[in-house]
Amino acid sequence: MPEMSLKDSIITSLSAQEPWPDNVKLFQPYEVEQILLPDNASCLAVQAFLKMCNLPFDVEMRWNAEFMSPSGRVPFIKCGAFVVSELEPIVQFAANKGVSLCSKLSTEERAEMRAYMSLITNVLVNAELYISWVDQETFNTVTRVRNSSVYPWPLGWIQTRSKRNSVIKRLKALHWYDKTLDQVLADVEQCCNSLSQRLGDRDYFFGTPTELDALVFGHVFTIITTRLPCRKLAETVRQHDSLVALAKRIDEKYFKRA
Amino acid sequence: MGTVHAKAQTENVNSVGGGLFDFEEPETLEEAIPKPTIKLNGVRARVDRVHVDGLSRTKDDIVRSAVDELFHATDFEDVILKAHKVRRSLDSLGCFKDIGVFIDVSNGPGATPEGLEVTFQVRELTRIVGGINTTVSENEGNLVLGVRLPNVAGRGERVSAEYSVGHRSSSNFSVAATKPFTRSALQPVLTTSVYQQNHEYPWSGYRLLDRGVLLDIAFRTSPATKHNLQWEGMVRDTSVLSKTTSFKVRESSGPVLKSVIRHIVTVDHRDESIFPTRGTWVQFSSELAGLGGGVANIKTELQAEANKEIVPGFVVQLTGAAGVLHDVFGTELPEFFYLGGPATLRGFQQRGAGPHCDGLATGGTMYWASGLHLYTPLPFQPGKGGLGELFRSHLFLNGGCLAHPEENSQAIIEALSAVRVSCGAGVALRERGRCACAGSATGCLSALLVEVQKGPNLIHIIVLMKQM
Repeated sequence: MPEMSLKDSIITSLSAQEPWPDNVKLFQPYEVEQILLPDNASCLAVQAFLKMCNLPFDVEMRWNAEFMSPSGRVPFIKCGAFVVSELEPIVQFAANKGVSLCSKLSTEERAEMRAYMSLITNVLVNAELYISWVDQETFNTVTRVRNSSVYPWPLGWIQTRSKRNSVIKRLKALHWYDKTLDQVLADVEQCCNSLSQRLGDRDYFFGTPTELDALVFGHVFTIITTRLPCRKLAETVRQHDSLVALAKRIDEKYFKRA
Repeated sequence: MGTVHAKAQTENVNSVGGGLFDFEEPETLEEAIPKPTIKLNGVRARVDRVHVDGLSRTKDDIVRSAVDELFHATDFEDVILKAHKVRRSLDSLGCFKDIGVFIDVSNGPGATPEGLEVTFQVRELTRIVGGINTTVSENEGNLVLGVRLPNVAGRGERVSAEYSVGHRSSSNFSVAATKPFTRSALQPVLTTSVYQQNHEYPWSGYRLLDRGVLLDIAFRTSPATKHNLQWEGMVRDTSVLSKTTSFKVRESSGPVLKSVIRHIVTVDHRDESIFPTRGTWVQFSSELAGLGGGVANIKTELQAEANKEIVPGFVVQLTGAAGVLHDVFGTELPEFFYLGGPATLRGFQQRGAGPHCDGLATGGTMYWASGLHLYTPLPFQPGKGGLGELFRSHLFLNGGCLAHPEENSQAIIEALSAVRVSCGAGVALRERGRCACAGSATGCLSALLVEVQKGPNLIHIIVLMKQM
């Protein structure tokens, strides 16, 4: 029976401080036929963050990325023996290795950045989940097809059903399930307003790129470029020119796909 | 001499039946016949009537077809033998708690001169049987609740349900419905079950949650040959046990749909299933996965065992097993073969032999294993004829190899010749129809290893030497 000895855990924590290796892989679902709006946003955010940090990585697409991830959410990176999932733990992990984008920021600015990041996870992520899983038209024509594309029948149906139930459970707990689409869009509008006010006419939120920029890029870029039958979400976000410009700027600077 | 003859015959029938049903023979019946000078097979007899007392739920037609044979008896010996046979087939219906046989001269209207009347006194099983028990398996304690409805529709159908909760809050359940077709050829038994099972494999670092449907048709082509034809459809959810689990194991997480057709044939010529003294046992199973679902492979496995008593009480057992898995697509860790542990390669840790990655067993596609066992009475034979009969000293030497070779013959031969061997001694204990082992034993090469192992029906505490 494998046991985690004290020796192992010491080695683990020591090697966590080693520099960033070359063979880091980022795992995510298939971009073309599988990935869903919220997952795509967070995958893009992590990719943008790693590119901003100049940390080399390869993207690997797996149908079961979600299940391989230690937290059950995508994306996750494999760095040596470590498996780290989602943006914030990855930011922490990079900081442990001495790579940080917000080292020049003051304590207040960092707190502000955290506040904006949690605003995004609380509003944009939930809105994306709402559009994908609760909005009937989007669910039927996009989410259901894409989510079950990697499974044989009838497993696709079972998986989609159980995932939908768990998303709805989450949204119910956060009192988002009872909202109408208009209420959701109003929340998004408000969130975008405060983000674009903070951004003003600067290039980045805090002068230099930070993980907040990466997160905003991930969500805004995904929302405005993903074709969905429900265009209202994209239209709401598109009205904020400064955010769209930020997304385009980051896309051009870091994702120039030659 | 008649009695003796009749009895010997009966015993013969019994052994051909090969422990088909554990049936207590009411010796008194045959031995009650008083004069040993009558040749039973010389007494002409015919069965005029058969009574079956005590039927309420059980349908007449299956009982009628079971007793039909009695009417073909021509002499008294035949009647006795056939009565025994009928009694056995009534028992195999699974409807009765106990069955008594009573043979009398027939009288009343319509009675013939040599006529006999046979009466079966049966007691039906209760409508519902329930039970609660606790089990301790490899790494979990379980509370098992079971309910059984025997003979639901009067023709031997039964429904059973089992629910178990483990202390690690894993819950398993199964519901099975069984229907025997006693009147058709080969007497097939059809079983349908629905189940959910949790398995944890700390040696490989993953956990399985299986939910599925199993259809099984069991039939016999000869008294010793049993076939099972199965179709199983399941959703298998694999997840890793911890954050530090090897990435190779992590890669196989996620739900898969699997559809399997399986054929298992078992030929059992042993005199007993636990501590046999003679006879062979062979099981051959073939599996074809991939008719629907996300996993396709072909799997074949052969297991065999031969027993021989060399000196009274000393039984040598030779065992062998081999398996081959051919992956077509989607075959992940849970499908592979694993070797090691009391059920496969005694003396090794569970799944201890074969390919490993970061200390976790990752399985292989080919294996063979063989063993030589010697079962003897306990030294100095304490409790001989009584408690001591439940114990055996057990010496073993076994070896085997599990590999995951490339598909080319040279590599296969090379991979399969990396043999792992272990030997040791222990004490085996028979425990109410099952067999458990406990004990201690002899020396060792460099270090003394004491291991406690528990297989499906064996507990073993052994000190052993290993050649790694």
